[in-house]
Amino acid sequence: METFHIHVNGIVQGVGFRPMIYHLAKKLNLKGYVKNDSNGVNIFFNASASEAIGFLKRIKLAAPAKSKIIAAELFRVPDQIYFDFTIRVEDNKASGKQVLLSPDTATCPNCLAELNDAKNRRYRYPFITCTECGPRYSIMNSLPYERHNTAMQAFTMCKSCRDEYKDINSRRFFSQTNSCTDCGMKLMLYNDATTIISTDTETILSRIKNNLQQGEIIAVKGIGGYLLFCDANNAQAIRTLRARKYRATKPFAILYPGIKSVQRSFELNDQEKELLKSPAAPIVLLVPKPWALNELAVKEIAPGLQQLGVMVPNNPLLELIGNDFGKPLIATSANISGSPIVYDDDDALNYLFDIADFVVSNNREVIIPQDDSVVQVSKYTHQQLIFRRSRGYAPSFLDYRPKTNQCILSTGAFLKSSFTLSVNGNVFVSQFLGSAESFESQQMYRQTLKYWLDMYEAKPKIIVTDMHPGYFSHKYAFEFAEKFDAKVKLIQHHEAHFAAVLAENKLIKKEEPVLGIIWDGTGLGTDRNIWGGEFFKYENNQMDRVNHFNYFPTIAGDKTALEPRIAALCILAESEHQPSGLKEKFTIAEFNNYHALIKNANLFTSSAGRIFDAVASLLGLCDKQSYEGEAAMYLQRAAALYVDENAFNMDGSYIKEWEADGPVPTAIMIRNILADVASGKSTYYIAAKFHYSMVCLIGGIAERLSINHICFSGGVFQNALLVDWIKTKYANKYQLYFHINLSPGDENISFGQLVYHESGMKS
Amino acid sequence: LGHGSGGTLTSQLLDAGVFKLLENDLLNKKHDGAIFNLSGKVALSTDTYVVSPIFFEGGNIGDLSINGTVNDLAMCGASAKYLTLGFVLEEGLKMTEFWEVLLSIKAACDVAGVNIVTGDTKVVERGKGDKIFINTTGIGIMHPKANIDAENIKTGDKVILSGPLARHGITIMSHRQGLQFESTISSDTRPLNKIVLSLLDEFGEKIHFLRDPTRGGLATVLNEIATDARFGIDIIQKNVSVEEEVIGACEMLGLDPLYVANEGLFVTVVDPTVADAVLSRLKEWEYGKMASIVGEITTDHPRQVIMKSLIGGRRVVNMLPGEQLPRIC
Ligand SMILES: [Fe+3]
Ligand SMILES: [Mg+2]
Ligand SMILES: [Zn+2]
Ligand SMILES: [Zn+2]
Repeated sequence: METFHIHVNGIVQGVGFRPMIYHLAKKLNLKGYVKNDSNGVNIFFNASASEAIGFLKRIKLAAPAKSKIIAAELFRVPDQIYFDFTIRVEDNKASGKQVLLSPDTATCPNCLAELNDAKNRRYRYPFITCTECGPRYSIMNSLPYERHNTAMQAFTMCKSCRDEYKDINSRRFFSQTNSCTDCGMKLMLYNDATTIISTDTETILSRIKNNLQQGEIIAVKGIGGYLLFCDANNAQAIRTLRARKYRATKPFAILYPGIKSVQRSFELNDQEKELLKSPAAPIVLLVPKPWALNELAVKEIAPGLQQLGVMVPNNPLLELIGNDFGKPLIATSANISGSPIVYDDDDALNYLFDIADFVVSNNREVIIPQDDSVVQVSKYTHQQLIFRRSRGYAPSFLDYRPKTNQCILSTGAFLKSSFTLSVNGNVFVSQFLGSAESFESQQMYRQTLKYWLDMYEAKPKIIVTDMHPGYFSHKYAFEFAEKFDAKVKLIQHHEAHFAAVLAENKLIKKEEPVLGIIWDGTGLGTDRNIWGGEFFKYENNQMDRVNHFNYFPTIAGDKTALEPRIAALCILAESEHQPSGLKEKFTIAEFNNYHALIKNANLFTSSAGRIFDAVASLLGLCDKQSYEGEAAMYLQRAAALYVDENAFNMDGSYIKEWEADGPVPTAIMIRNILADVASGKSTYYIAAKFHYSMVCLIGGIAERLSINHICFSGGVFQNALLVDWIKTKYANKYQLYFHINLSPGDENISFGQLVYHESGMKS
Repeated sequence: LGHGSGGTLTSQLLDAGVFKLLENDLLNKKHDGAIFNLSGKVALSTDTYVVSPIFFEGGNIGDLSINGTVNDLAMCGASAKYLTLGFVLEEGLKMTEFWEVLLSIKAACDVAGVNIVTGDTKVVERGKGDKIFINTTGIGIMHPKANIDAENIKTGDKVILSGPLARHGITIMSHRQGLQFESTISSDTRPLNKIVLSLLDEFGEKIHFLRDPTRGGLATVLNEIATDARFGIDIIQKNVSVEEEVIGACEMLGLDPLYVANEGLFVTVVDPTVADAVLSRLKEWEYGKMASIVGEITTDHPRQVIMKSLIGGRRVVNMLPGEQLPRIC
């Protein structure tokens, strides 16, 4: 009989790992103990060498579904005799922390059953959880995952809860979030910032139900912060919500009571169904059936769009609210447009009464705020596209092994900010941290980063950031470098996008060359122009920009991005005759002024995003956008309507040929589009043919360069129709690679920056 | 205007024109330099004016070059006394244009109550200049009660802006790019010495800081103040006045008025006990009707300027990194 130590790291805390070990040890009749520390899970036990090896194997096999083992190692240690097998809780702050935080998890079926079982002691308890489900990342203060390190430390378990916690046969054995009506969190109903009118769950729930029915807007504290709810079939309530949030047309997500009701109203394939039901429980973009129009004020929810963002309850409180109301609800992060989600109770009470008629809070602190994640499955080729990676997905690490243990921080881009941290040989990508122009978002970014650095006792030696001097992330990198005495390294925006998709698909060491199709709105290029429609070749760790959309002028600042009609004017600046109708989009003064500005422009862009905008404007779909990507979404919808009728059959491309080594002739494409507009071709056809032309470019360039592997990144690839068309046309001919766990948009930039630097890429 | 070989033309000009027009006792002595007595603490400031176009709505390079230096002295808490005036003229400049500039210089000196005491004129070949460049250097006597120093700024101090933003920058930009707006927008160039000195008379040391938000606009000045004073500044957008037509122009051009240049405005950071009194004094001044308390010094977010926006969120107002590169995707 010898003494052994098994060390397991990865996502092994908050996922039921210790109870599993405990059960296994009891079954094998091993004596010893298991404990969490900041490096993972450690098991010390008495066994023979062969028993020990067997134990290790069985641990790997029995690992809980939500865990992820990175390494499991067996060591011989000095002899020690144990008389029982126990779970030990110690506050051990070892250095070189390695354990990975686990994401928040939606209510599991067992807890749901109990929630709805009138005989269960947690019947309608809005915070029911078990070792399988509940908040994790959002309530973690520090490592390791023990109750006293979470927001649960404020609540002392009652006798019944404690008994469950100690009972190895209970689902709540060692459940750190364990609580019940007697000992757990309480709802609080505020009528104004200082008056609590009720703390009784049933009173509050019935008040929520009744007032939602009356068309009121209600703020409720969820897992990652406060959410706003109103009746999704009450157009007036939604208009009021838009006015109070200063949110003109950007679509709202809808909460359905459950999968069944979603299925009744939406086309739902298996993949989409799995996503809705998954532990991450994201918002999924779905196409409504005609029937859904009876229960949804669609025009107010998502003006001009085909798809709606749908979710089902991801926590017991939403389960109760959704089911009591019985019909779809608007569910949106509580904030003023452009600010991050409100999660602090004082902020909620100070600000939310401007939007909500009343506020339902609770007395558990949100430590890490998160928005709901947003995902889509493309209609034809079922490509999963992540639009926003937050609650449920963050902060799961990415399967990318850095070469060294050196601490590297990369600070990301501007809108859709995120950061990536490499520490102790693991790479973490933060959740979506909001648009970094707002002070609140910057604060959230700083706080979240500080939290991570503290959690892992990390001191970055190198800080990687975007070249653009106007980005918050760029300034912050320099500020931080001073603080940590670190070096700053600048990476070009689109090269970072490319590096991100290469790494996600494990192509960094690929022998053969890889083509990178990197299309987005704006990024500062190495030639001081504004890039955005880029073609790169990657080979031997070297990236070369092999082509781009031909430059066109753009006016300074963000005006061109905000107004597709200006993008159209910019692209047509050098053209002889401007199409009829273009001038009419402007007042005379506007037209003359923009014309003058474009003529004198000293900024030029290859932005693919602006090309989509311009085409949307020329087709009369959108002249000014009130949210990012709005015009492109209308254009996508128009093209999708063509494809619905004609599948992916198209009579040709708007770009037939172009000079061998020249850039993609943007102007010729636009001229051909205008000719079709002038000859009265349908908008749907033109929109589709434009999509197809963009698709053809990809094959054209791949063929010229004889490259067989093609990667896609950049915000343009949030366009599911474009992705479907690419896959339909090329899946048999080329190896195609899309993002897997990250959004194709700027949320992936921080990861790409880190990869580019860490893997020693050159360009 | 011809290139003065051996300076014949130049000296002719000086004798016949400049001297006569700008005459005063010191200038009339025609020494190589001006000789005069000054007592007490003085302030000295210089600036070179290269604005293009040289004529614009509301002024020209001439009055701009006088007001600019007078105002820089005023921002030190000094009353401008004497100015030097240096011209670099490009061959080909029309005499009538030169005279018009000179007349504005004269008029601006009279309004501000300063004298040009020495000067210089050079003519350069065509293409080596841009019509007219002007340098002015001014010397002023410090107001006895003035104590203008970023070190005096403390938390709770109020930040006051003397009038509406962005007129000068929009005016110049419209001329340069050939832009037109519904109603004409004119530069706000004007001397600020009298109003500033009267504030110093009345409020003395309670005026902690003064600066004119010229190039880079209000945003730049506030960031400089925040950095120098090592405090944060909270600004309320609702209180920052911008005229209707200027808002319209900025919106059309995608410009943020906070970053657009001004010529006849100042920002003052004052003790909270006198803030309301300073504001009412400013409102009595003919250009101060739209003066307002725009914000406050705070210990939160040191070195950062944060603006509470019209719709409630808060925005970080950064120093502009050179040109306005597009950022949003
Ligand atoms: Fe991008
Ligand atoms: Mg100056
Ligand atoms: Zn559960
Ligand atoms: Zn309990």
